[in-house]
Amino acid sequence: MIVVENVSHRYPGNRKTPGRTALRSVDLSLESGSFFMLTGPNGGGKSTLFKILCGIQRPSEGRIFIDGQDALASPDTIRRSIGVVFQHPALDKHLTVHENLAIHAGLYGIPKTELDARIKDSLSWTGLEERLDETVESLSGGLARQVELVKVLLHRPKILLMDEPSTGLDPGSRRAFRKTVNQIRLDMGITVLMTSHIFSEAEHADRVAIIKDGKLLANDHPDTLRASIGSEMVIISTDDMDAVEQTLAHHTEISVQRHTDHLRITGGNVVHILEDVLEKHRSRIRQLAIKRPTLEDVYVRITGRTLQETEENAQLEKTS
Amino acid sequence: MIGVIHVLAKRELVRFFRQPHRVVGSLAQPLIFWVLLGSGFGASFRAPTMTDVSYMEYFYPGILMMLMLFSSIFSTITLIEDRNQGLLQEVLVAPVPRIAIVLGKVSGAMSVAMLQCLVLLAAAPFLGFQPGFLGGLLLLLGLILSSLGFTALGFLIAWRMESTAGYHAVMSIFLMPMWLLSGAIFPLENLPTWLWSVMIINPATHALKLVRMPLYEEPMTLLSDSTFLVSLGVALFWAIACLWLAMKRVERADCGAPLTQGVE
Repeated sequence: MIVVENVSHRYPGNRKTPGRTALRSVDLSLESGSFFMLTGPNGGGKSTLFKILCGIQRPSEGRIFIDGQDALASPDTIRRSIGVVFQHPALDKHLTVHENLAIHAGLYGIPKTELDARIKDSLSWTGLEERLDETVESLSGGLARQVELVKVLLHRPKILLMDEPSTGLDPGSRRAFRKTVNQIRLDMGITVLMTSHIFSEAEHADRVAIIKDGKLLANDHPDTLRASIGSEMVIISTDDMDAVEQTLAHHTEISVQRHTDHLRITGGNVVHILEDVLEKHRSRIRQLAIKRPTLEDVYVRITGRTLQETEENAQLEKTS
Repeated sequence: MIGVIHVLAKRELVRFFRQPHRVVGSLAQPLIFWVLLGSGFGASFRAPTMTDVSYMEYFYPGILMMLMLFSSIFSTITLIEDRNQGLLQEVLVAPVPRIAIVLGKVSGAMSVAMLQCLVLLAAAPFLGFQPGFLGGLLLLLGLILSSLGFTALGFLIAWRMESTAGYHAVMSIFLMPMWLLSGAIFPLENLPTWLWSVMIINPATHALKLVRMPLYEEPMTLLSDSTFLVSLGVALFWAIACLWLAMKRVERADCGAPLTQGVE
């Protein structure tokens, strides 16, 4: 079980960049064997929390317990029980698959005599059996990810931490990767924490947490999160957002979110809203949709930004 | 811990040999330097103190030292990418002592540098150098010690760098003057006092002495020669200091600042 207790983190500033608070009093707890997905806009604190859990960053305040042990006080014990998959592959691409695995074994003190047996054990689900002696460079993105997963499982961790693990994978490999991780979790009974932007990856998740501006805004089972915005919602794109918004303002029981090219409406009686909007603005409506809320809709509702807007924002931050 | 150092050092060697252009390039560069500069300067430049030494011969230890210096320092450039998007990420979350991370990298890079130096050392007999077994051993010891220090220095500087371009810029500010002012190209004699003082505190000066002296003096005389012993001491101190600082650097996890710091 992982317990994050009142963790706050502030990046120290320097002459060029001012300091920045990345996490504000975050509390979390993960049951052993569960699958936890952490999501939120870039710069919201996701990566910081991930780095703190891996032990490569120490928080300004707060405590972390892993299976009852203080993770910040005894980092080496914790390092032994976690496996980490980074966003950028932590492999030496000039070395072969086997050489990379051997380095991992060396770092975790796995005896040479046991290494090959362990590799063989974990290769059954991969397409790597024939390619152990090829360099990582020559593998496809999907296969390289498999190498990484085989690698971090070699020392039999109790907790698997993954930072955007499906970055750079095509949809097919992504699905395969997701399936594999879930199977491994169930077989080995390990706890999985994963950060991701891709909501379809939450299908097996026991919990989804949304973090923004360093605060935990939601943390619940995906079904509960979806239910939180009702069973239906309405999306309207129109040429005259102001006029439609004004009409909607008469419905006090609903909540309206305005985005760059559409309005998102949750709550209230959908039929009444539609009747009212169509009666007054039919000619201005470009598109009108009723849908069952997805996790992505929950994300948009909570963060106030669509994924596209999140990305544009990240681009802006990068260029400025 | 020895296991971890071994695994990391071996990786450096395998990587080196798997990139043939690196092997060729790293050996060709100092040879070209030596032949071109040596013959070019040799024709027109002769210091008053160098009556009985040809410039090619004078320049030989300097080139050996340059090979060691550049190979040691630039081997750490891989740290920059490795740390943010490579193998080093996993080394950092592994349950290994932080000093093993430093020693693994440094000893691997040092071994690569030594292999290159050995190739150039094979030219020594053709220049009339006969250091003998013990002398050769002292020479190698000097090279190893200096290489450890310079690799650790590179490690220290590369650790916090964001880009390889930045590292190149910083290192050329350090490296070129260090080599130029070591006595590699001109002797340490009849110099203005300020230049002489810079040269005497330059660790590369002492590294060069460790390389040059065993080529000329008997091993037994060397061990009672205070100049040699001082240089040996400086190299040892330099290596330990840089290794220690590098370890401290790695050990210091990125710590959060107090929450109130800099908040208006």
